[in-house]
Amino acid sequence: MPTAATPTALQRLLSPLVAPHVFDFWASRLHPTWSWQRPLARVVERRVEARDAVTLVLQPNRHFAGFVPGQHVHVSADIDGVRVTRSYSLTGLPRPDGRVSITVRRIDQGRMSTHLCRRIGVGDVVELGPAFGDMTLAVRPEGRWLFLAAGSGITPLMGLTRQLAQDGFPAELTLIYWAKTRAELCFAQELRELAARAPRFRLHLVLTRETDLLVNERSGRLDAVLLQDLVPDLASRRVYACGPAGFVATARQLTQGIAQSFSAEAFTPPMPTDEATGTVRVELRASGRTLEIPAGQALLPALEAQGVTPAYGCRMGICNTCACGKLSGTTQDLHSGDSSAEASSALRLCISRACTDLILDL
Amino acid sequence: MTTTALSRPLSAEELQRFGAELDALRARHVADLGEKDARYIRRIVAAVRYTEAAGRALLFFGLFAPAWVLGTLLLGLSKILENMELGHNVMHGQYDWMRDPTLDGKTYEWDIVGTSDNWRKTHNFKHHTYTNVRGMDDDIGYGLLRLFPEQKWKPFYLAQPLIAVVFALLFQWGVAIQELRIGRWWHGKMSAAELREKFRPVGRKMRRQLLKDYVLFPLLAGPFWMPVLLGNFVANGLRNLWTYMIIFCGHFTANAEVFPKSVLDNETRGHWYLRQLRGSSNLKGGPLFHILSGNLSHQIEHHLFPDIPARRYAEMAPVVREICARYGQHYNTGSLASQFGQVVWRILRHALPSRPRAAAPLALDGAQPVAA
Repeated sequence: MPTAATPTALQRLLSPLVAPHVFDFWASRLHPTWSWQRPLARVVERRVEARDAVTLVLQPNRHFAGFVPGQHVHVSADIDGVRVTRSYSLTGLPRPDGRVSITVRRIDQGRMSTHLCRRIGVGDVVELGPAFGDMTLAVRPEGRWLFLAAGSGITPLMGLTRQLAQDGFPAELTLIYWAKTRAELCFAQELRELAARAPRFRLHLVLTRETDLLVNERSGRLDAVLLQDLVPDLASRRVYACGPAGFVATARQLTQGIAQSFSAEAFTPPMPTDEATGTVRVELRASGRTLEIPAGQALLPALEAQGVTPAYGCRMGICNTCACGKLSGTTQDLHSGDSSAEASSALRLCISRACTDLILDL
Repeated sequence: MTTTALSRPLSAEELQRFGAELDALRARHVADLGEKDARYIRRIVAAVRYTEAAGRALLFFGLFAPAWVLGTLLLGLSKILENMELGHNVMHGQYDWMRDPTLDGKTYEWDIVGTSDNWRKTHNFKHHTYTNVRGMDDDIGYGLLRLFPEQKWKPFYLAQPLIAVVFALLFQWGVAIQELRIGRWWHGKMSAAELREKFRPVGRKMRRQLLKDYVLFPLLAGPFWMPVLLGNFVANGLRNLWTYMIIFCGHFTANAEVFPKSVLDNETRGHWYLRQLRGSSNLKGGPLFHILSGNLSHQIEHHLFPDIPARRYAEMAPVVREICARYGQHYNTGSLASQFGQVVWRILRHALPSRPRAAAPLALDGAQPVAA
């Protein structure tokens, strides 16, 4: 997995003299993506990909260390003064000019997706994290593959499909891609052309709410009958699936144990519980521990009860001493009652409780 | 007039309502945080950078006297803004909701010789949690001055009018070594090895600051290094005097109160709010004055809501004042001249032996649960 770019010799030499945020302030006056160490990227192209979906082509600076198809990146943007971070799959192939593409579908009430689909334009800057994700392919994969994609789940699988296409399909691929309507299909034309051209690539577009179906299109949900019909040689294939949690669970159930292998990635918005009962699982990333704690209690005493000793001061939400990074999960501020599903650099443990499983930087 | 006559003790039920009203004011502002606060603090960052660049550039031409004066003033202005409205407030976590890594309360490092880490401990935790509680808040006289009659008098304090001036001139150095608690070492309560260990990061920060202001920038000026060095020296001195004046006005005016440790026993949120109010004092002034004071001119609001962006305090102040009036609480405010005059009087008066007056209770008997 690629990590952050290593500093140059000049950077190492100068680093004792430079305050990165001061450098960044002046550098960004000269060029929007110049930075001492932050991987920033400028939008250089915006394409409408489908209804409510756009592809953004980004030109990262040299601090972005690259990726392989199938991986994702965290993308951060300032929205109304608040930095919001979401992960998106990289849909393009690595290019000599370093440009990367993400394809974003707008979700109702989705802060980041609405921003990226409707408000951001060519020239705007976002920050990237290092690429991550294990659903990738070997350099020249062999054998037979089955990709199952539902909705936005097409995005990592599109990157992998393009990788196979570029190499002339060294492995055989069947892609089944579900969407509600034709207008919501991303990359449809490219996929159709590819299927017409490459005999080792088979494409099935499945539309669940479309009445008139075209060539390569059909209807129906993912089930044993459909799978038997479209992929009779399932037992000889390796399966990658990506889509909402329910879709991935069905895919797993139908193929695991039959196919050669099964890997999947699911995306589902977090479902916080309002109930302050029961327990949640808290992963402490820095110390490598995972604990079960009561959901109703403030995190600081709950962690202390398990023998974890985070730094703390006032224990009443004033001094910020116990604030630690939250990498994922939903928490509720016990003073205001507000809950937040955003990652945060400063979660105050003394006045926050867990609503879902959490990953903390402790 | 004493504070006893200025504010009345509150009952448990009044304290609860008083706290709830302040909580509600806080919630209204938290809910409204957004683009305008973000734009404001970024403009402050830009003002800090541009004034610093302009000041340093002018100092390179410091042989020309007007350039030196203007350059020094601009650099001093930049350092004051960075120290007060930017650094102090960011380190309180006031802008953590923006999730901007350059404005992160836990990692921001400010442009003074003291380390941000030590500041977060002595100031954010000790001073803000235990404001004006004797034996808990090291900011009461900074272990150097006797400002309240409740502090025990020693002959050493006879020298404090002089010590206070030296402390003002070297204020950032005082802040830098405050958390080292050298007094404990002096009295044999801490080993030299322990002190050395605590000094290490502080020494590193001091070295960095000294190299930047007194070596790097003078060197860049080549043969004209002398005015650059002097300009940096004076700018740091101006910042010391200004921050000292503002900060001392926050808690050491005539009517600011100190409290015994027993106030902390089972302290409720309402009671904590009340203690913050009674230990703090505001300064009157225009918008520019408020910005240059890092909005510590709204010390009361800052102590009630230390993690709300300071630009909001001006808007909150009339509401706080109105709440205080309804609960019969004195709202301590005045001009800089008047408030600082009272501070100077305290420094002079309590250099000599003095006896505390009967303390005004914060709450009525039984309003504060007694620790078991």
